[in-house]
Amino acid sequence: MAVIEAEGVGKTYPGGTMALQDVSFQVSKGEIFCLLGRNGAGKTTLLRILATQLRPTKGRARVLGQDVMEGARSIRERIAVVPQEGRPQMMLSAYDHIYLMAMIRGMPRAEAKVRTKEVMEEFDLWEHKDKLTADLSGGLRQRVLISIALTGTPELIFLDEPTIGLDPLGRRQVWASVRRMAKKGVTVLLTTHYMDEAEQLSDRLGIVDKGRLVFLGGVEEAKARAGNGMKVIVEAANGNGGAREVLSPKSEEDVLHIVQRGLQEKRRVTFKPTSLEDAFIALVGGGIDDESA
Amino acid sequence: MMRAREAYYIGLFDSLPLLRDPMLMVLLSLISFLPVLFIFLYSAGQNAFLQAVVGAVVLSLAFAGIGSAQSVYFNKHWFRFQDIFVASRVSPISYALGLSLSTLLVSLPAIVLAMAILLLQTSMGIVGLAAVLAVSALTWMAMLLLGFVLGASTKNTRRANSLPQLLGLLLGFLPPVYYPLNTLPPYLQPLALAIPTTHAAQLAKYYAGLLPLAGWEVLLGWGYLAVFVAAMALIAARRAHWVDP
Repeated sequence: MAVIEAEGVGKTYPGGTMALQDVSFQVSKGEIFCLLGRNGAGKTTLLRILATQLRPTKGRARVLGQDVMEGARSIRERIAVVPQEGRPQMMLSAYDHIYLMAMIRGMPRAEAKVRTKEVMEEFDLWEHKDKLTADLSGGLRQRVLISIALTGTPELIFLDEPTIGLDPLGRRQVWASVRRMAKKGVTVLLTTHYMDEAEQLSDRLGIVDKGRLVFLGGVEEAKARAGNGMKVIVEAANGNGGAREVLSPKSEEDVLHIVQRGLQEKRRVTFKPTSLEDAFIALVGGGIDDESA
Repeated sequence: MMRAREAYYIGLFDSLPLLRDPMLMVLLSLISFLPVLFIFLYSAGQNAFLQAVVGAVVLSLAFAGIGSAQSVYFNKHWFRFQDIFVASRVSPISYALGLSLSTLLVSLPAIVLAMAILLLQTSMGIVGLAAVLAVSALTWMAMLLLGFVLGASTKNTRRANSLPQLLGLLLGFLPPVYYPLNTLPPYLQPLALAIPTTHAAQLAKYYAGLLPLAGWEVLLGWGYLAVFVAAMALIAARRAHWVDP
């Protein structure tokens, strides 16, 4: 069953900026679906449309079987969002945030207390419950925000760049939280511009570039688009100086040809598996940081 | 009932940092009392002092109202709690009401102090006190809506902090709120009467028995405040979006 269905979704902002064009895709129940793209590619715009925070100007989108415009109210009862660069209130504790959000969501006091403890224990926050969020690390703060989203037991959660600005440990903590959610059957739509994050987390991914969805499929499928699953580096034998070539052979004959050439020229030939970044470059051209490409 | 509960907890969430730091809350609240202190020290008349106290009541609520600009801006652009609330069962009315209620909190110590002084030092009865509070509440609403307009229109964190302060000065300390209107030169008086807090202060001083006003002046004051509230409500409804366009 499709939890998200987008058909030809487009968005032009009131100022005239076209942020999305003709985006169509589906996300199934229980999937972790990553939207990967450069900054400004249109990922957040798409996420905000699906999370009923922004009006599309073209096409239609359905979330949990409801149209995002006409059925926004019933969608909102069943989803949660962790916004990009959201921040907890520094002068409140982790417990305050989660408990008050549970109360705002309409839980009776006793149930809110139980749910707060459950969520905090699930995200290893209970030991920090009375600390002000100002005193927590970036990874813990991000987990507070994810916990806030999960107080209401949503069926679908939107995470907009959930690990931006976190150190490697903090990122892994968030990844573990996302996996835990998915294990419980929560569908996750996550935007990121980190290749390793998309590779680690996604069941399927969509690559967004200049407002268009340029790829839709699995990580391995994306890599296959960049060649036959490997790249070959040909460089000077001592590894220092000299021309360095990074080649993406399309066939076994290509591989053989490259190796023979390397032997003849007495250069070192190294094989590396194609990374998602290689696939990304092959699909959109330029790198993840190259916004002008 | 459910919406009222949402509003209450949103208000609590927004104001809890201040509630947890009562010293800061009292200090912020009493800012509107600073001019009263100077008028008390340097003015000979009891009437001038009491007029300043009435001004402090009006401005405590006016400042609290303008403070909503920061709540609106920071909850939308900095903490991004508005995005979290939009994608939940929370209604926009509960959200707006919650943020509004939280602004009231900061003015409470000043209101209590000012009301106690007025009850002890003037012949104003309960009716007068209720009328002063009603004028102040309407002023709060006007400034609150102005704050919503500002908060929803501001795109820059620096401005989100400085604009409410600037407006506080222009609408609070400069016009004849703490001091009588007739101390201004005649050519400046019409300008002062274009400012809603001037009307609010005139009415409040009238109900506190400190200033005589003609019937038409009373009507003009209420009318001006009501029109200002309606205009701000209209602009706020157009500028403050729940779902972004």
